[in-house]
Amino acid sequence: MSSAQLFYVINLLIYAGVDIIACLGLSQQFGVAGVTNFGFIIFQAAGAYTAAILSLPNQSANGAFQSYIGGWNLPWPIPWIGAMIVGGLLALPFTFLVGRRLRGDFAAVGLLVTAVMANLLVTNYRPLLNGAAGLSLVPAPLQSKYNPLSAGYQWLYAAVTLVLAAAVFLLVRRVTESPYGRSLRAMRDNDIVADSLGKNLLSLRAAILVLGGALAALSGAILVGFINTWAPSAWGYAETIVLFAAVIIGGAGNHWGAVLGAILVPVGFEEATRYIPTFGPPGLVDDLQWVAIGLLIVVFLWFRPQGVLPERRRRIGAGAPPEPVEIPNEDVVTLAGSLRAPGLADAMGQDGSAVRVTGRPITRSVPSSVEADGGVVLRTVDVTRDFGGVHAVAGVSIEVRRGTLTGLIGPNGAGKSTLLAMLAGTMPVTSGQVIYAGADVTSVPAYRRARLGLVRTFQLASEFKRLTVMENLLSAVPVNRGDSLAGALRGRRYWRPDEEAAIARARALLDRFGLSGYADTYAGDLSGGQRRLTEIMRALMTEPTMLLLDEPMAGVHPRLARQIGAQLLGLCAEGMTILMVEHELAIMDEFCDPVIVMAEGTVLATGTMAALRARTEVVEAYLVG
Amino acid sequence: MSLFLASFGFGLVTAAVLAIAAVGFTMQFAVTDVLNLAYGAVMIASAFVAYALNQAGVNVWVGMLAAAAAGAVGSVLLNTGIYTPFQRRGSAPITMVIVSLGMTLIIEFGLQAIVGGTNVSYTMSQGPTVKAGGLILTTVQLVIIGLAVVVMAAVHGLLRYTKLGKAMRATAANRSLARNCGIRTDRVVTLTWALTGVLCGIAGTVFAMNNGSFGATSADLFLVVILAAVFLGGPGQAYGAMVGAVIIGLATEISAAYITPSYKDVIAFLVLLIVMAVRPGGVLGATA
Repeated sequence: MSSAQLFYVINLLIYAGVDIIACLGLSQQFGVAGVTNFGFIIFQAAGAYTAAILSLPNQSANGAFQSYIGGWNLPWPIPWIGAMIVGGLLALPFTFLVGRRLRGDFAAVGLLVTAVMANLLVTNYRPLLNGAAGLSLVPAPLQSKYNPLSAGYQWLYAAVTLVLAAAVFLLVRRVTESPYGRSLRAMRDNDIVADSLGKNLLSLRAAILVLGGALAALSGAILVGFINTWAPSAWGYAETIVLFAAVIIGGAGNHWGAVLGAILVPVGFEEATRYIPTFGPPGLVDDLQWVAIGLLIVVFLWFRPQGVLPERRRRIGAGAPPEPVEIPNEDVVTLAGSLRAPGLADAMGQDGSAVRVTGRPITRSVPSSVEADGGVVLRTVDVTRDFGGVHAVAGVSIEVRRGTLTGLIGPNGAGKSTLLAMLAGTMPVTSGQVIYAGADVTSVPAYRRARLGLVRTFQLASEFKRLTVMENLLSAVPVNRGDSLAGALRGRRYWRPDEEAAIARARALLDRFGLSGYADTYAGDLSGGQRRLTEIMRALMTEPTMLLLDEPMAGVHPRLARQIGAQLLGLCAEGMTILMVEHELAIMDEFCDPVIVMAEGTVLATGTMAALRARTEVVEAYLVG
Repeated sequence: MSLFLASFGFGLVTAAVLAIAAVGFTMQFAVTDVLNLAYGAVMIASAFVAYALNQAGVNVWVGMLAAAAAGAVGSVLLNTGIYTPFQRRGSAPITMVIVSLGMTLIIEFGLQAIVGGTNVSYTMSQGPTVKAGGLILTTVQLVIIGLAVVVMAAVHGLLRYTKLGKAMRATAANRSLARNCGIRTDRVVTLTWALTGVLCGIAGTVFAMNNGSFGATSADLFLVVILAAVFLGGPGQAYGAMVGAVIIGLATEISAAYITPSYKDVIAFLVLLIVMAVRPGGVLGATA
């Protein structure tokens, strides 16, 4: 090969490494955590600028033809490390955009706009980073000792880049394949439900923004060390879209997909067009290239939204026979074990073993304050919720005693689901107090209430669709050493014991609910009844003190509904407290005591079903309906 | 003081252009729940339709009518051809935003491939300068302000007093409920995109006039300003967008006079981020 060809190959390798690092960072945010960072390119730019001003000499010592801050003349690898630190820190102010309150698409637009503005500011304000002209003569790493133009240096540069890309690959894989990565994917699939299971969305998103930001910055630092120049034109907002195209086409959430996308789109696509003979007026080929990027995104999202290499299914199964599992259309699933007939005695288990799952009680111990409160686990004082002028819930005061399966009924619009949401913290109260286990939790956020043992399920199916049933269950485990970024980074060996214990508990629950054969099935592929069961099992995995169930039997085959009811009674006998919204009066008759009747936002009556049926106002409001 | 009045006048013109654009954007969001980031691209493409006619010797105000028609056709095609099929499939809002970004690239750079990368201007007379109450404006600027007032009044009339307007508000509030009440929501949505497309085409033309010269990617920054007005008024709120447009229009131009013109859009950007962080439902709390 001639030296020009050699240089071209080296060039390609370095660009590939840089793009792979960037795409892995973006895929971690977008594909794994569901954080759509349209401002990703800002972080690459920040890394490049940081590395540049750390390695450049002072501006006056550098011919004084460009103006920039810094100029510390620091030796490699300090500029690269500094770039990563700055890229990570820069992510922190962005977390307020991707926090809990803002819709994901709004946040994405906010980030996009930020990218446009950041570019505008750097372009117009010359003293900071030399404005539109950008920085040039950025020193190559260790150029005082070696000749950056020598073939050996360049090969080494390419090798270092690729080694770093490989290291980044291992790093993001370690994070994604850990319990922490599972929490990220749960958040991606349904953030409100993840919140209700005790996941701190803000800290998860902040961590993933910082990690992705640091990786983007590293890619920028490597690039600027090689091309020795960096200007606003290199990081227009549209460059982010190129990286998104790469991740979408390669396969969001699959690390090999990110690698493939990086090679196909920014490297392959832009290189391939070099060989198109120039035609038309100047700039035409560039324009068509952008059109093609836009087309690739739209066409792929339509025909193959999962990308060339889709996210792979994690099989942690229950040692079950190999798939395929046939998924019946109807919801007739027979519960396993000794629970074939409803009723408390059976639910207790013939040998008493059903009350414990692998030696651990499903319910955590009840705080002593509950006993002091006459066995009341949860009480509300004049809880109210207004929507505009409508009092969805108006001054509700209820008590739920320990070990009861309390029913909550009422006609549509009575405020049952709203009340449940306020109890769980998914929705703030307009006024009033929620007291759980003797403590006022009115202003405690949902994820922290869940950690205190107060866990809800949802009226609409709320499984994490692209997690398997087993993963859905594991995602709810409150204590796992691998469920933090630090724990995940320490590797599998560190968290394996916790994980294995959790898997054992999940298997026992799957056995108990008769879903062992579905452990490795995507929850999104289950039938309606199976999803409800999965959701209840997942809530149980949090080791709750109290469960808030929103119509757990809606759309479930009556026979299965009664089996679920028997299971719930069994749990109450073990000491769990359950408040259940349900429409089916037969279920209430059979399982719930006491029953709270709501109508038009207020509590109409409380008592046993038999007593309630004797009261005319209750019958009029609801029972005959 | 005269500096303030001069910038106030410019602010009114910008607010006028912005109001026409922002009301169209926010009504698209209201009925389809899509943040159509390709809005700016359609604006500029429409402005180039007027430019093509203008080059052929047609008066630019007549060209604006053609631009309005082009905006309507383009918007309806975009919605029925791209956005609706994706939504029927149950695509998440975030997917829709990514699709709209892809469409932005396709439209903008497709346009640039045709018209080239250099900026152009309409051939038109600015008319005599008018002085009123310390404000100094050209006739064209006055016409733009008047046009905006007429358009806002028309939107108000449509939403308040016509059956279609009522159907649009019902569809925006709850699409499936509206359908169950006998409203042909698909038709309402298509009509909404046609009407907002008209606004988009007019906005593109007056934006191009007000800018003096324009190119295929000129609306990129203006989209930020549109978004700021829309979010300030609450996404989906037509009246909110009008008020947001006036505030953002005046704020950007007046700050440009006192700080420096290069940074005038930064005010819009800061407003947008603060609104998103503090009151993502909009600050003005208007109900459309």
